[in-house]
Amino acid sequence: MMAPSPRRKIRVLIAKVGLDGHDVGARVVARGLLDAGMEVIYTGLRRTTEDVARAAIEEDVDWIGVSILSGAHLTLLPKLRKLLDEGGANDIRIVAGGIVPQEDIPELRANGVAQVFLSGTSIAEIVDFLIRETAHA
Amino acid sequence: MNVFKPPGAFGGPTASETSKDIAGESARWMAETFDPARPGGPERKKFATDVGIAVDPLYTPAHLDRIGFDYLRDLGFPGEYPFTRGDRPGMNRTEPFVVSAYSGFGDAQACNRRFRKLIEIGTEQILVALDLPTQCGYDSDHEMATAEVGNVGVAIDTLADMELLFEGIPADSLKRIGTLGNSIGPIVLALYAALGEKQGIPWQRYTVNLQNDPLKEYIARGTQILPPQPAAKLAADAVAWCVEHAPNWSPMTVCVNHINAGGAGSSMGTAIALANARHYIELLLARGLSIDQVAPLLHMFPDERHDFFISIANLRALRRIWARMMKETYGAKSPEAMACRTTVYGHGQEALAEPLNNIPRTAFGTLAYVLGGASYVYLAGYDEAVSTPNENSARVALRTQQIIAHEHGFSDTIDPLGGSYYVETLTSQVESQILDGMAQVERAGGALAVIGNGFGRRVMSEGAVRRQRAIDSGERPWVTVNMWPQKPDVPNTAFRGDAQATERQLARLAQVKAGRDQARVQAALAEVDRASAEDRNVVPSVLDAVRAYASVGEIVDIWRRRFGSFVPSTDF
Repeated sequence: MMAPSPRRKIRVLIAKVGLDGHDVGARVVARGLLDAGMEVIYTGLRRTTEDVARAAIEEDVDWIGVSILSGAHLTLLPKLRKLLDEGGANDIRIVAGGIVPQEDIPELRANGVAQVFLSGTSIAEIVDFLIRETAHA
Repeated sequence: MNVFKPPGAFGGPTASETSKDIAGESARWMAETFDPARPGGPERKKFATDVGIAVDPLYTPAHLDRIGFDYLRDLGFPGEYPFTRGDRPGMNRTEPFVVSAYSGFGDAQACNRRFRKLIEIGTEQILVALDLPTQCGYDSDHEMATAEVGNVGVAIDTLADMELLFEGIPADSLKRIGTLGNSIGPIVLALYAALGEKQGIPWQRYTVNLQNDPLKEYIARGTQILPPQPAAKLAADAVAWCVEHAPNWSPMTVCVNHINAGGAGSSMGTAIALANARHYIELLLARGLSIDQVAPLLHMFPDERHDFFISIANLRALRRIWARMMKETYGAKSPEAMACRTTVYGHGQEALAEPLNNIPRTAFGTLAYVLGGASYVYLAGYDEAVSTPNENSARVALRTQQIIAHEHGFSDTIDPLGGSYYVETLTSQVESQILDGMAQVERAGGALAVIGNGFGRRVMSEGAVRRQRAIDSGERPWVTVNMWPQKPDVPNTAFRGDAQATERQLARLAQVKAGRDQARVQAALAEVDRASAEDRNVVPSVLDAVRAYASVGEIVDIWRRRFGSFVPSTDF
């Protein structure tokens, strides 16, 4: 019999920030990550960046997956990164999913967003990325 | 010479004898000709629709026998009960479907220029896209509005913005004007009523169309503000006010659109939407209004994006179910109450990669609605998956509608697919699915209950996951996504929020708030609160508040304090 794995599961907070109410993508990704064996928490709609940062720190997650479709990404994502860093949680990393113009992606990367998955990305690609990039996985 | 001699005439076989022969002949064809022609047996894929109805290789009169097809009972004639073939007698021969645009961005000043351009190229109806702060009841200067002002629609804070938005566009110069405003129905109704007053145009001379369907927001669209019960009551207030003051308006459009797109599928989506419609109707009947007063003011917004023929079947089945429900369940007497008017928004399986391919996709999606007999037609911009349509994509969307309306003869005859073995079979199957869905919603407690008890959310999530798996596995073909896949791309030319428009909006709001008669505003807001507390129709008080330049956020804040806020679910 195998010894129980000492490694903890990857913990992910799926978040909606701002007023954008389209959360089908967020929920489908949440289900997909759960099916892939990760621990997943969903914030529900219409959270402020402060709410999301607080929840991520309290829940001690490895990743925050922010779903964003309303075009407010350049404001909200760097703000979330700043709040996490100020809260001593620079180990919590951010990925974003949704609609982000190509030219904004380098700017988001430079502001602490690890990866941007555009709508249409397969669940498998997201799962592979998170497993590959999580230190303890 | 009598070439088109009907079967059964002159002592020939009756219709049902003919189709019995055809059933036998179909089985023979399948065994002797079709099956042997399939090398190795299986067909190249499973032929199933998004709603789960399997598609046969061939449809014959035997299928009509199986569904017990009865022309006079099931179809009848356009403009007559049960309205399967059309809600209007002459359909597109006498009144072409209304070419419509859903548009809005930035502030009223920038948006007004776009509207004038849309009208110049032939738009007959404009539904104003509002930005998220407005839809969610926050003024542009609220903290929650950060980075959202003017992004997915135009910012409307007060009547001053409406005046500017429609400057040079008289309310009666279009067939209909309106907006969604699902969670702020009485306020947007009041804004359009006050706009007419400002322009000196009586309410009888123009037509306002609102979506004003808050119940679907909770499970599908996400702009909900209050708990569902008071939200539905406020939406019904808008309809009741119109019955008395503007019976020519259409103040409620009950939506399948977002429920289907969010995962429910078009049949279950239609079932949930009809349950929502019933909830609003029953609130209105409980006030002493009659079904013949209320039903003609309601529209339905059907939706099917995956399967062309299901889309046609859905519109036909919806009209039949609506007619029977109005007549049999509610005892409607007038044809106007039984004829289901439909607003549609043409989509396809739009993709981020190679967005120009979305032009044929949305055209086919829209064509299905037109063949299904839609009354008011919108068409998504090819870049809509990315952002608010730009001027070019808005123009293409409009031209596509005009081409469908006038070229190719698509709408030269009414209900051109009526009688098709395939379409009649699908119409009957879709009708059964919708009725079954309505029974499920009923068993789960009805429209309000399914929001809170997890039924609605489960239907949506399971459907969304099922669709994602069908795409990931390739079972649902999608060109450039799972066939000839291309990297998804969001072009840099996608519409971006305009910082200057936000500045202008904030300046205008500050100016309006400083320049209005504060005592009048406070008195009007106090009356909104009293009407809300006493369960009266809020529209008269909201109209007074809007006339006094009270803001959307100020009015909604009264309701937030009085009714509380809805707490979104964290289930997925």
